[in-house]
Amino acid sequence: MSDESVQDLLRALAEADASAEAPLEIEVRLRNQFRSRKRQQVWRLAAMWAASAAAVIALFVVFAGRKPAVAPANPVVMSPPAVKVPQVAAPPISQTAIAPSRRPIAVRPRQRQEIVTDFFPLMDPAPPFERGQLLRVELPASAMQMVGLPVHEERLADRVQADVLLGEEGLPRAIRFVKYESK
Amino acid sequence: MSESDETLLERMLDGDEAAFTALYRRRQGTIYRFVLHMTRSVSLAEDVTQEVFMILMESGRRFDPSRGTLLSFLYGIARNRMLRRIENDWRMEPVDAIDECAGAEDLLDHLTRQETIEQVRRAVVSLPPMYREAVVLCDLEHASYEEAAAALECPVGTVRSRLNRGRAMLAQKLTRNVLRTAYE
Repeated sequence: MSDESVQDLLRALAEADASAEAPLEIEVRLRNQFRSRKRQQVWRLAAMWAASAAAVIALFVVFAGRKPAVAPANPVVMSPPAVKVPQVAAPPISQTAIAPSRRPIAVRPRQRQEIVTDFFPLMDPAPPFERGQLLRVELPASAMQMVGLPVHEERLADRVQADVLLGEEGLPRAIRFVKYESK
Repeated sequence: MSESDETLLERMLDGDEAAFTALYRRRQGTIYRFVLHMTRSVSLAEDVTQEVFMILMESGRRFDPSRGTLLSFLYGIARNRMLRRIENDWRMEPVDAIDECAGAEDLLDHLTRQETIEQVRRAVVSLPPMYREAVVLCDLEHASYEEAAAALECPVGTVRSRLNRGRAMLAQKLTRNVLRTAYE
């Protein structure tokens, strides 16, 4: 049988089956699925934004708690000191001293072992996470209570270090606390 | 002028249901028939067609136009799903020796058109998968060599040689079947 004959036969088969199609139910099922996925996406997005907003507010509350007490309503005005203070060139202030506490800490204490807790989610439900950034911050120990960790009353104002996991969009996704122990 | 598959995909991924429907209606038949000709199983063809478009909804953003057309992307998904579903049966059959048998065309006249088509259908499904894919895509679904190559993840030259080999094997099988039928 020649190649041409085979191609003729194949053409005949193609023509015979040209109208073969998937049943209509599949289209209906897929369209329903499409709609339901669309709805889910909208809800997921809304939930993500709500959770993100809640997490940001929670972090803001923690940071706000670190600020010094509010000044009294009638502050006492103090006059400048009568003694003339000699002008001395100020020593260069290291960046470490002035940098805000929410900054990556490059230098870590040596000869101390770092122990970290598990990550505590700051978003529920957590949106899919692909890429992000880990930020080392310093917080009052009271922040640990926020995620349910026990803190002694007297130590609530102590500073603790924590790693905040930021999502690609810059919102905090999770937090873990760091403790140093001498080797 | 109708929109391209790629434009419809973009709109679909932005949540446009009309675009999804248009794309589905345009391409479901092709995918359905591809699986049907490969397996002769209506239920498998239905399942795989549905799965292909579900995957398109979920992972449509993975489509890369630089690697081929959307149709070849869909063929590729269908092929993978099909392989998964029939993994156990998807064995390479031994390639038969091809011998010449003149005059078989005349014998085809003894068969009715319906019988002939059924013989061809059976012969296609009995081809080893790698040749069957090439024959089904290029000869039955009229995919271009480039589309077939992208779907089968092989060079265009390989598609051509598989197609030639597949046709030759088909000729042999059909001749044998026709002779058998004629002498029964």
